[in-house]
Amino acid sequence: MDELYLDNIDEYVNDHNKIVTYKWLSLTLGVHVNTAKQMLFHYLDHKRKESSAPLHATYLVTGKWVENGNTSHKVTVVREEQLEDVKSKMSLTVSVHVYSVQKASLKDSGPLYSVDYDAVKDNLNSCSRYSAIKCADAVPFAPGDVRPAGDSLQFPPPDPNQIKAPSFNGPSNQTASKPPTKPQPKGIMGMFASKAAPKKQEPAKEIKVEQKEDTTTADVFKSKSASKSSTMSNFFGSQATKRTEKTVKEEETSSSSVKDKSESSPPAKKVKETPNEEKVKETQPKEVKVKETQPKEEKVKETQPKEAKVKETQPKEVKVKETQPKEVKVKETQPKEEKVKETQPKEAKVKVTKEAKVKEAKPNARSKSKRKEPSDSEEDKMETKKRRRIKKPQSDSSDDDDVIPDSPKQQEMRKPPPTPERLLKEKIVSQPNECKRRKRRRVMKSHTFMDEEGCIVTEKGYESESYSDSEDHVPSAKASNVPARAAPGKREDEKKTKKKISPPANKGTKQASIMGFFQKK
Amino acid sequence: MTTLTRQDLNFGQVVADILCEFLEVAIHLILYVREVYPSGIFQKKKKYNVPVQMSCHPELNQYIQDTLQCVKPLIEKNDAEKVAVVIMDKEHHPVERFVFEISQPPLLSISSDTLLSHVEQLLRAFILKISVCDAVLNSNPPGCSFTVLVHTREAATRNMEKVQVIKDFPWIVADEQEVHMPEPRLIPLKTMTSEIVKMQLYVEERAQKT
Repeated sequence: MDELYLDNIDEYVNDHNKIVTYKWLSLTLGVHVNTAKQMLFHYLDHKRKESSAPLHATYLVTGKWVENGNTSHKVTVVREEQLEDVKSKMSLTVSVHVYSVQKASLKDSGPLYSVDYDAVKDNLNSCSRYSAIKCADAVPFAPGDVRPAGDSLQFPPPDPNQIKAPSFNGPSNQTASKPPTKPQPKGIMGMFASKAAPKKQEPAKEIKVEQKEDTTTADVFKSKSASKSSTMSNFFGSQATKRTEKTVKEEETSSSSVKDKSESSPPAKKVKETPNEEKVKETQPKEVKVKETQPKEEKVKETQPKEAKVKETQPKEVKVKETQPKEVKVKETQPKEEKVKETQPKEAKVKVTKEAKVKEAKPNARSKSKRKEPSDSEEDKMETKKRRRIKKPQSDSSDDDDVIPDSPKQQEMRKPPPTPERLLKEKIVSQPNECKRRKRRRVMKSHTFMDEEGCIVTEKGYESESYSDSEDHVPSAKASNVPARAAPGKREDEKKTKKKISPPANKGTKQASIMGFFQKK
Repeated sequence: MTTLTRQDLNFGQVVADILCEFLEVAIHLILYVREVYPSGIFQKKKKYNVPVQMSCHPELNQYIQDTLQCVKPLIEKNDAEKVAVVIMDKEHHPVERFVFEISQPPLLSISSDTLLSHVEQLLRAFILKISVCDAVLNSNPPGCSFTVLVHTREAATRNMEKVQVIKDFPWIVADEQEVHMPEPRLIPLKTMTSEIVKMQLYVEERAQKT
């Protein structure tokens, strides 16, 4: 092959400071992925010999991994420094190839995903034309095809331009797309490995194309997502990504539907998936996936924040989950496929983490939704922004157990029906003024007392007190902001409460702030 | 196809919202990539369909949010010319400056349905570029802190001082010491042009950091 590609890669890496992944390269140059991998390898080799500017590379390693007596098929993206280490730890290394080349040393794997995202999105209908995974039986449905009978999970395909269920992200990812079906692992794995990985027993899933999403991108994304999730585990920890024996219903769809490259398909799972696959087969593949992956994604998403919090050192499950839901939700263009795919390699982890963290789901539902807020698409911004602002006080009042929400207040606000989003707040008081019932409210009260050192200390604290609307409105500003402070004086809680009330209190204080200078103009 | 103009305040708010959300993510990412704070406080989250690192520390988050709350009205009125995230060393001398130059066309109009997804794509490219910027920058000395400076057009700051957008979060005119960087090297990172906003990101780096 001619040597021009070396210059091309050089330009991308050095001049543009891009991260060049093999997938991006194959789509950009229009070559088969295996060719792209070889190109990257040669480039790296070439540059290393010339010993010019430092280059970093990541590798994709696939193999058998034994941990705690469990064997799993591990697919992981590793940094160059960790390559030998990981290879030696694997009981059998099935394949190793260059994943990406870049100038920067990446702190985490996020950018690797971003790089491919746009490239694949641009080539949505044909992003697997250079892929190594092929299935002759994977043929898209003609647009008018009748769905198979016995389909009990009918529900209308989501409108692509509506949104945004919390578990989905992006403007138009609702449409289902079928992951490609029937893998032929033997033939494909043979290309990479000396030893053929166990065959995936996946049923031929019919690809539904009516949402006209790309079906074949699934496999591309699947392997990518698989490797992404393994990336996380590898970057942070040394635990193997376990493909456990637990079969999850959701996974069946993903696993079965996706063709696997050796890299991305854990063989162990496949065995279990056969029963699932059959079941999946008879149901509407797309809808099943939608349904199944959806709750999973939601759960995953819910657990995701928790897991992330839990510990970085909880490698695979945590990280996998993090990347997994992201990838799943992210692909607006291949919603189902990716989710499916993602779940497939990571099904075990998802399951494990999901179970482990289900109990934490509730308390974190809020944080989940809060975090999702930023990821709402801009299209919704107009509505949600306004809605969110108005909603805040509203949900405040609903937060307070003792307060009964006002209907007059609601009318006044003209609120749309509240979504499940609940923002985390540290609001102190919510005061629906129009309510005419007896309520408890939290009021700032000061206690002055002598502490053990003989100092007089004033503490301000919030206390509940019961009141009704006929009483006067609670004074918001405390003029006597400054308590009697003794020399050793300030208590922590005093400070805390002071801080809370100081914003309103400053309104009433006579002490001039520096801004007073300018206001007098 | 709606055509909204700047006179339509809603649209101005939308653009300001988009930019402020982007700036929040960008600031968090800069703090992560430049190791201003230990990476343990960061957590992967999703924005524009890609993973980004956001901090979990409540006070840091609050500070950044308050900062951007105050910047938002300036952006709405197109008064903010540059938003700079300045990384300073222990002596409060600037070491690095990530400058976002923002300009909005005087007559904004949306004329395409895919506008927002296009903008999303461009912002995604910015995020990616920030992630790999450490290839072109020297590493910072330990113990750095950061601040956000806003360069405004005309005399918008006078209004800011009169009206505190957030109580107890005053903005002051920056010291010369915080602004001036001796012998800066300019490294452009990314530029974007879209119908609603034009933005450019570059890094000014001090020649000798330690």
